[in-house]
Amino acid sequence: MLLAVVVAAGAVLSVQAAINGRLGETVGVLRSSLLTFVVGAVSTGLLILFFEPAHAVSLLDVPKWQLSGALFGVVYMMVMVGAVPRVGTAVATVAVIVGQLGMGMLIDNFGWLGNPAIELSGSRVLAMVLLGLALVFMYRSSSRV
Amino acid sequence: MQSSSIDIAATPAAKPGLRLLLLPLVILAGMGLSVEAGLLGPLGSQVGHLWATLSIFGVGSAILFLLLLFSGPQRGPALSELPRWQLIGGFLGPMYVVVLTLATPHIGIAMTMIAILSGQVGKSVLIDHFGWFGATRKKVNGERWLALLLIVAALVLIARG
Repeated sequence: MLLAVVVAAGAVLSVQAAINGRLGETVGVLRSSLLTFVVGAVSTGLLILFFEPAHAVSLLDVPKWQLSGALFGVVYMMVMVGAVPRVGTAVATVAVIVGQLGMGMLIDNFGWLGNPAIELSGSRVLAMVLLGLALVFMYRSSSRV
Repeated sequence: MQSSSIDIAATPAAKPGLRLLLLPLVILAGMGLSVEAGLLGPLGSQVGHLWATLSIFGVGSAILFLLLLFSGPQRGPALSELPRWQLIGGFLGPMYVVVLTLATPHIGIAMTMIAILSGQVGKSVLIDHFGWFGATRKKVNGERWLALLLIVAALVLIARG
């Protein structure tokens, strides 16, 4: 099921964050990020060459704003590098998640950026509340150690 | 393509004024991550998931290369002097981005973000509890299990609704 795959991707992501965190400490954030992106680009390029079927539309045909995704990732990285030492990891983490989920809900609800619209339902709001509670518990359990 | 790391730890805080100023900036950065995911889904269904992933890593590499070039010499050892295993993180990133482009058109962006989050939290709780991957085994307290339970409940809620 798709959901399980996404959960697994989250687990993979945190493994990556752990490896890169250690790398960033020794060689600096810029170099460790560049390494991640270059290795990512090269391995994706290899996969495309050997496995990707041909598509009628290429990256050069789509509107340019659709290619701006990477900018947000890089800006995110710079903001975190500057902010985490000053506001603390816990506060920064919660703030990012609030931004992520709030914006996610907005995009879903209005179907922005060409996404299918998914209306904000009662169960979605309740899920947000549960998530907020979960963050509170995580924060409390780690600040006590 | 980065997402928030969920390993919450207490860090010394800055002056209250600066904090208030920085907080909206961090929230905006988080919003940017959702916009990135929102761009990826439709792009992936037009040009193919791997091509969409390549656009992220290609553009990101180019920007970072320029930033690095103009930020002058870096401190610390050269990449070639590091243990090899520390360099494999780059292979994991594309998996995450491909899954993003696959999932967002079907389950929505907010849902995808919650699922990613639960994977991150679940992984860290399980690794701590069972001591996987050579981590020191430590007892996970009730509050973190409760947090995990709440996140899973949130997932189930949205999956059914």
